[in-house]
Parts: sequence; C-alpha cells; structure tokens
Amino acid sequence: MGLRDLFEKDIQELENEGILFSSLEKLVAWGRSNSLWPATFGLACCAIEMMQSTNARNDMSRFGSEVFRASPRQADVMIVAGRLSKKMAPIMRRVYEQMPDPKWVISMGACASSGGMFNNYAIVQNVDSVVPVDIFVPGCPPRPEALVYAVMQLQKKVRGEAFDQHGVELPMVEGWSR
Amino acid sequence: MSARDLGHAATVTREEQHGEFETRYMRINVGPQHPSTHGVLRLVVDLDGEEIVGIKPQIGYLHTGFEKTMENRTYQQGVTYANRMDYLHGFAHDLAYVLSVEKLMDARVPERAQRIRVALNELNRIASHLVFIGTGLLDMGALTPFFYTMREREMLLDIFELVCGVRMNFGYFRVGGLYRDVPDEFFPAVDQFLEMFPKMIVQYERLFAKNDIFVNRLKNVGVLSRETALDWGLTGPSLRASGVPLDFRKAAPYGGYEDYDFDVPTYDAGDALSRMLIRVDEMRESMKIVRQAVDRMEPGPIRDPDRRISLPPRSELEDSMEAVIFHFKLVTEGFHPPRGEVYVATESARGELGYYIVSDGGSMPYRVKVRVPSLINLQSLEPACLGGLFADMIVNIASLDPIMGDVDK
Amino acid sequence: MSDAGSHTASDIELAAATQATVDKLVPLGGVVKTFKDMVSVTVPKEHIVEAVSVAKESGFAMISDVFGIDYLTYPGHQGKRFTVAYNMRNPDGNGRIFIRVDVDEGESLPTITGLFKAANFMEREVYDMFGVVFEGHPDLRKLLTPEDFDGHPHRKDFPLGETPTLFNEGRFLDPAAFRAGLVGADPGLTGWKGGAAKGARSEQDFGQGAGMHGKESGKP
Repeated sequence: MGLRDLFEKDIQELENEGILFSSLEKLVAWGRSNSLWPATFGLACCAIEMMQSTNARNDMSRFGSEVFRASPRQADVMIVAGRLSKKMAPIMRRVYEQMPDPKWVISMGACASSGGMFNNYAIVQNVDSVVPVDIFVPGCPPRPEALVYAVMQLQKKVRGEAFDQHGVELPMVEGWSR
Repeated sequence: MSARDLGHAATVTREEQHGEFETRYMRINVGPQHPSTHGVLRLVVDLDGEEIVGIKPQIGYLHTGFEKTMENRTYQQGVTYANRMDYLHGFAHDLAYVLSVEKLMDARVPERAQRIRVALNELNRIASHLVFIGTGLLDMGALTPFFYTMREREMLLDIFELVCGVRMNFGYFRVGGLYRDVPDEFFPAVDQFLEMFPKMIVQYERLFAKNDIFVNRLKNVGVLSRETALDWGLTGPSLRASGVPLDFRKAAPYGGYEDYDFDVPTYDAGDALSRMLIRVDEMRESMKIVRQAVDRMEPGPIRDPDRRISLPPRSELEDSMEAVIFHFKLVTEGFHPPRGEVYVATESARGELGYYIVSDGGSMPYRVKVRVPSLINLQSLEPACLGGLFADMIVNIASLDPIMGDVDK
Repeated sequence: MSDAGSHTASDIELAAATQATVDKLVPLGGVVKTFKDMVSVTVPKEHIVEAVSVAKESGFAMISDVFGIDYLTYPGHQGKRFTVAYNMRNPDGNGRIFIRVDVDEGESLPTITGLFKAANFMEREVYDMFGVVFEGHPDLRKLLTPEDFDGHPHRKDFPLGETPTLFNEGRFLDPAAFRAGLVGADPGLTGWKGGAAKGARSEQDFGQGAGMHGKESGKP
C-alpha cells in the first residue's frame, strides 16, 4: 500500500482498507461534539434533574459529558438549569464570559426558557436575554432523557447537521477561528 | 464587592504586628456559582490562614417571589407553587400548604387521602435524605456513594411517576384531598422498595459510616451545642443531632401522623457526623411510617365531598344543576375560604415548615408567608464555622442541608 | 443516641402557659384574639421587646418566625398599614402564640436579636420586603432582592411585575386581565361560559379511580 495507491485508488476502496477521509473542520467538529463538558450552573429544581441525568440510569457521560467542570474555564457548554433570578443574572453573564470559545448554552426547563410559571419581578423571563442560547428544553422539570436528547441535538448542531425553525441549515462550528 | 455589599458589621479586619510583618485577615468570596454550595449560596469568608474568623452568607440569588406570586393565584393553583420551593421534599410544602388551607376551610379530608399523603410524604423524605447523603459525600470527594443513592432515588421517582405522573414537582395534593386515587401498581412497587431498601442502607453505612476518612473529616467538626442551636433557631434533623428531640410529627401531629408508631432519633454530639448519621436513621423511621400507612389503607373516597371545595364527579353534571354551578364556580373562580389567618407547623426534611395564610374571603390568598426551615437553619452556619478550618466549612454547609429554593423563596 | 422519651407539655400545662402569658401581656396593652386554635396578642410598639421577652419566659421560649403583613387592600381594615407578627412556640413544639405589632409606613421597631439570634435573617427579610426598619439590628440590609433593587416587593402597591405574553401572531395577553375572570369580577379574557366539557358524559368514560371516588365506594 504505497503512496501511489492513495492517488490511484477509489475513495471507497481505501475506506474499505481502513483509511478515512474527512476535512479538518469536520474532524474537529466531531471531536468537539463528542466531548461537550458542561459547566455546573444548576440553579433550582432542574439542577436536580440534571444531576439525575448523570446517574447510573440515564448516563450522560456516554454522550461525552464525562465530567461537569466546576470551573467555567474548562467547560464547553453551560446548562442553565433552573430559574434565573435578576440578582443572579450578572453573575451568569460573568460565568458565560469566562468560558473559552467555542461555547454553547442549553437553557433547561421552562423557567430558564421563558420564566416558566414565575411571571414576576424577580425572574428573568428568558435566559436568551442574558446569554445566547442554542437549545431550549421544555419541561418542568424536563426528564433526564429530555436533557440527554437536548445534548444530542446540540451535538448535531456542532457538527453542522442541524436546521433552525425555518429549515435553514445551521453552520458547523469553525475549526480554527472560533 | 464593596463594603456596602457586606454591611458594616461584616468587616472583620484587624491588622496585627507579627514581628516585622503586618498581617491582615484575608477576605475571600465563595461565589454563588460553586460546585459545593448546594445551589446559589454566596459566602463571604474572612480567613486567618486556614481558620475562619468571620463568615456571612449572602443569599437571594434564587429569589423567585413565591409569596407575592401566590397572592395572585387561586388557592388550588398555589399547590403548584408550593412544591417548587423545596424541590427535594416537595410533598412537605404541598402538605403544609394544603393543611393550612384546609384548616381555614374546616375541610374534612377522608382517611384514605390522609394515609396516601403521609406515605408519599415519607417516601419523599427518604428521597431527600438520599440526595443529602449523595451530594454531601460528593462535596467531600467521595464520588461513588452518589451513584448508589441516586439509584435508589430513581426507584422512588418511579413510584412518584406512577402515582402523580411526574418525577419531581408534583401536582398531586389538592385542598380537600388528592387529585386522584393511587393506581393498583402502587402497592407492589412500595412493597418492593421497602423490601430492598434496608439492605441498601446497610450498604451505605458500609461505604461511609465506618470509613476512617469520613469519620475523621466529620467528627467534632462544626459542633453546635444545644443552647447555640436553640438560640439560632435551628430546627429539624440538625437540631435533633444537637440533642433536642423536637419533631413536629410527634409534638404537634398533623394530617394523620398521630396514628403511626415511629421513633425520633436524637444524637448528642452536635457535630457534622451526627447530622449526617441522623438522616440515615431517619430514613429507617420513614420506612416504618410508610409501611404502616400502606398497610392500614382502606378503600374509600380521596377528596372531601364538600362541593364547595372539590369538583363534583362528571356523572353528576348531567343530572344536577347544582353540580354544574359548583363546577363552574370552582373552575372559574376557585373556592372562597372565610376571612382569617391560619398557621400549621409541619416537619419537612429540613425542619419546621409552615404556611401562614391570610385570607380576605376572596378566591386568592391575601398573604402567604412561608416559614421556611432552610433560611433559618442557614444562620447556624456562622456559629458552626467560626473557629474551624476552611475545608470544614464545606462539610458544615453539606451537613446543615440547605436548599436554596427554600432559602430564597 | 438518646431516645425521644422527653416529656411533652400536656394540653392542660399548655393552656396554663398560654393563659399565663396572655395575662402578663394584657397589662402591656395587649389585645387578645383567638381564631380556631390560634392565639394572637397585639401589643403596642413601645412594649414589643418586653412582650417578646415575657413570652419567652412564660414558656414560649423559641421563635419560629418574624414576618410582616401589609393590610393596604384588605377589605374592611382599619388601623395601621403593616403588622409585624412574631410567631413563638414552646420548646416542646406543641404550643404557639403570635405576638403582633401594628406599624405604619415610616415607623420603626426595636429589634429582638438581643433575645433571639435567630431573628437576624427574619427581621432583615421583613425590612427587605416591607420596609420596616428595626432599630438596633446588627446588620440591617436587604436579604433577598438584588442590591440595586429599589422598593419593597411584598407591599401591596408594589406591582407583581408581570411581562405580557406575546404570541407569534402579534397579539399579547395581559396576565392581570386574564386573571380578572378568576376573581369573578368580570369574565376577563377567557370568556368562560361554564358547564361540563363536551365529550365526557359519565364515569363510564373514565372508569373507577378518576375523580373523587376510591375503589368500591359508590356516590357519597
């Protein structure tokens, strides 16, 4: 199997022999999507369901979220789990800014996505007004399976296989610049 | 953080001359986003080396305005708000709220409903203590027990899902009884759980209770003497670990608790170890109560038949005009309790829980004040941590078991 | 591990303790009210610390809660606007007394943190939510609301702060108007007409167990 074979043989034949072809971006996106480490941002009841999604029954680490990093500097995704009060909002923004690029945000639960049942003076009515959200998860609280599904959707988004609500393809995360 | 942030009394600075060195206490911030603070708790700690000389909890990062929101919802809708305060022991809040309103309305809850309520409340207490053990040990660095306790909690959550339809934040209790009866699969599921759980407790005890590292980390740490605990308003298992056998299920029984035979474990040491071990014992007592409640359950109605509180069954709506009117009024407006103010003290997994409800005769409460245990218990962090090491502070928070949803309301 | 065999105050002892406390509070200007099995004594502002200390000595040695009530929109209320209530219980847990003080806006109360350290957070919460200042409190500042938040949320003239719900088509729902139907004042935006929902005819549709009846029991 010399270097000449690489140029002469068909891609399919080479794949059968064990050589994989891809672009660097796709490879990096694949790597990033399969090792999304969340930053712990559990606020309220959804945090308990987030904890339950890491337990032995609904094991989220098999999808790549092996550890929940306490320090945002080591995390890729911030799962906003719970109701965000207006007192906590600047702190959340600070934690978000401390995360290195590329970073994503999953807004877990009804309270984070829209204020939930708390339409009052104390709760931020949509976390999207503080940080840019990629995935919204409905539920009060969402089941652990729902959160795992959300993480899977985020993985698709990172890899460039996702579509937004108008059917437009969402771009894959950039390999170098982001 | 500015000085205004902390209050003039929080500054504990002292500059000393140690030979040629001028020393000052170091003030650090254990911020709201922290893996070990059990939610969004912020602590401002003054340190002399590793020793804590001043600690002030700053709370309010999860303030949701429950009480004000509940003033704008009907009484029956208030149940949904109640269990999101202490989301780990949601049934305690549900029960306390529902008991208060029932006291105001003089509602008579049928016995079957009371027994189901007690059984579910105690199962939820076990679930809450399981999280306490799991996360408490996680804070100390033991990763394995977390998975073990969560495994048991999943079984309990399956039972709750069977009965209420949701795993957490149930909307099952109603003023006057329950939403609907338990399905038949509830009883074998509970039997199965009660059969295998004692062996699991033995497993937990083997995992940590005899472990030298665990014991050395917790023994004589954060000692709260009896007088200190009482002065600072501590209630619940943390108080019972300091030698005061106060349990509202025994002292002022409510909701049918006088029927059941159980002990109230009490430890004398008042340190973090006793606060941890007492909850393991409490899980055993809760199992006894569940066993008795389930065994004594008789078939019967599960809601107060008073039409002013409970919806009439659908079949009656065809025959009786009165039933239609009651149904209409209850669904559009809700019921109107008489004017008055009422309070019922109950025992949640964290301490004394009570809802003080002021009614003005309308369909929404005029004022709901929740006496939350975690807010008052959190004050005891100060006497427990002062003089101790910084690493012990984490242990003390874990052993006092605050839930920030409860603290910040 | 000691056993919970301690002596709990019997009903007679409890009644005696309550009566003794009430008797000592009435000379301070206390007005006693009972509702169901709850006893509350309203004392004037000048004597509150003394009243709490009297209650502490007469058997109600623990404080459960200090909280405020704003009677601004309470129908038929005469008197001062706020009430600060002190929820005290006896050490055995089965007895309770409420000591109430009426305050107006701008008035302040002496603190009871000298008697009970537990009242620290409790009074701070009343200050935060209602604006009642406690003189002598070691650390009186806001507890739950953000530092830059102005106002006292639990007052009745403080709005709930609801955001209108916006639908995709551009219409929006004002939650307060939506809820007006619940109070019965006007039908509000729901336009509820009442009556049984179409489709559900009888219990046969749902079977046993749905609704009020348990197993094996007929209609009440």
